[in-house]
Amino acid sequence: MTITIGLPSKGRMKEDSSAVLARAGFTVTAVGNDRSYRGRVEGRDDIEIAFLSASEISREIANGTVDFGVTGEDLVREGLAEADARVEFCARLGFGHADVVVAVPEIWLDVDTMADLGDVATDFRARHGRRLTIATKYWRLTQQFFSGNHGIQLYRIVESLGATEGAPASGSADIIVDITSTGSTLVANHLKILSDGVILRSEACLVRARKPEHEGDAVVAEIIERVRGAL
Amino acid sequence: MPLTNLPAFAPDLIADLEGLGTERVDTPVIQPAEPFLDMAGEDLRRRIFMTESETGKSLCLRPEFTIPVCLRHIETATGTPRRYSYLGEVFRQRRDGANEFYQAGIEDLGEPDIARADARIVRDALHVIGNRLPGMALSVTLGDQAIFEAVVAACGLPAGWQKRLIHAFGNPAQLQKLIADLSDPAPSGVFGPEVERLARLGILDDEAKLIAHIDATMEATGYSTNASRSPAAIARRLREKRELASTRLDSRTLALLKEFLALELSLAEAPQALAAFAAKARLSLGAALERFDARVTALREAGVDPATIIYRAAFGRPLDYYTGLVFEITPAGETSVLVGGGRFDRLLTLLGAKERIPAVGFSLWLDRIASAGGAAA
Repeated sequence: MTITIGLPSKGRMKEDSSAVLARAGFTVTAVGNDRSYRGRVEGRDDIEIAFLSASEISREIANGTVDFGVTGEDLVREGLAEADARVEFCARLGFGHADVVVAVPEIWLDVDTMADLGDVATDFRARHGRRLTIATKYWRLTQQFFSGNHGIQLYRIVESLGATEGAPASGSADIIVDITSTGSTLVANHLKILSDGVILRSEACLVRARKPEHEGDAVVAEIIERVRGAL
Repeated sequence: MPLTNLPAFAPDLIADLEGLGTERVDTPVIQPAEPFLDMAGEDLRRRIFMTESETGKSLCLRPEFTIPVCLRHIETATGTPRRYSYLGEVFRQRRDGANEFYQAGIEDLGEPDIARADARIVRDALHVIGNRLPGMALSVTLGDQAIFEAVVAACGLPAGWQKRLIHAFGNPAQLQKLIADLSDPAPSGVFGPEVERLARLGILDDEAKLIAHIDATMEATGYSTNASRSPAAIARRLREKRELASTRLDSRTLALLKEFLALELSLAEAPQALAAFAAKARLSLGAALERFDARVTALREAGVDPATIIYRAAFGRPLDYYTGLVFEITPAGETSVLVGGGRFDRLLTLLGAKERIPAVGFSLWLDRIASAGGAAA
């Protein structure tokens, strides 16, 4: 059986993933030219590399097209229902750090916790004739955190695929759920993270599709062990 | 394998509903998604089947009938009171059971005599389920959000806490957690550095100054134009929050709330038990209790024996348009809900009705009724 690893196809994530694999003893090279979407591991005919866009990797792991992938935990948990049942997070790789957070306008001086936000959401409709709106691309994580962890039901999600931080100032939403690594974009947009508003501390992970044929497979075990050993 | 999952008893059921003086309505299977998400919250999004029109409008397959029936009533502006019935397919992703199944029910809109309308809807539900499952032992559970609201108000709790408690009512885990949090609040650190800075500057204790400061900051940061909360609203809630920071739910109130939420007894004995609870706790439950008693009397007059119904004080639905009565019917000793009903006096106004229209209704789960009947047969 050939084991396929999905890696990010460009940017810092591509370089960092290749570097971790190299430290684990797997030297990744592109097949053909540098921009090829297929790669191999030097000296290993039993491992294939598929270069994929970051958003595709979690989907390809979920449907089993690739056996492993290197991608952000946020994308996996957002992309897949019941992620832990379908994939295994084998190793946290120490790069691609990003927190998924709930942020509100800094000037909402009375709102510092999710409980405060729940209070504001509860009578938002009575005061404004509409529900509290949240701009985000993280539908699933937002729903789980708001309803599951904090019992907040009364809000609406406004899909935002870019420049989410600008939504409160532009009036397209009241608050946001977004990723941040340093928090500086939030500060620049006069937003603050709620003190209990970190939904997920994400980083790049080696993720395995839970496939029955992986059971007892020596290459699968070797990849996990050597990547863990390289950290 | 039958060609349709419409139960064989459907024609009899339709005849029963029409015999109860209702007007049968149908609504399109494809509905605008917005009203459902607005009313029930984003959680519903995972459970409904959504699509988009060519123009980008969110559409969904009808996940239930109450909202479409009410919207249709508002659009046709036919006046009240009206009693509608329906029977049709609904579409929802469920953990157990098929994703498309039939529901039937009654929506009773605009009847001003609340006790009478409540009693009639319970009686009608018992009538139609009794005809489908003759001889089967059923449990009927009844709750009343208005009683809980009255208890919370009579305890003299701060307005902010009342809102939180009422919002959590019907979600036992959330309510329990909230009560625990209120009786043992997390210490400090809940205001953030900016509020602490304003406190040091002496701005916090002067509400006019605080409002001016918030206003100026909004202006300076370019947030004013689209700010969805006003400086006054923020300042007011901040003051309320500071007042509450040093208070906690006292042990007596905590014990009272717990005692109330644990009440579970025959509806026939509930008026007396609630009156006794109120007297012992020295709480005045006033109009809410009178309305509760009037409903029990109306049930008797409608020919329903309250002794066959269980009143459970903690039973409610965590949706903000439910206002009073809730009830459900299950096979005795089982949890599978065959009929769910309740009063939703806020729904029609939320959906855009110009005047307040009191409303009560119930819905039957035909697939569960069919399998309960099959299991009994």
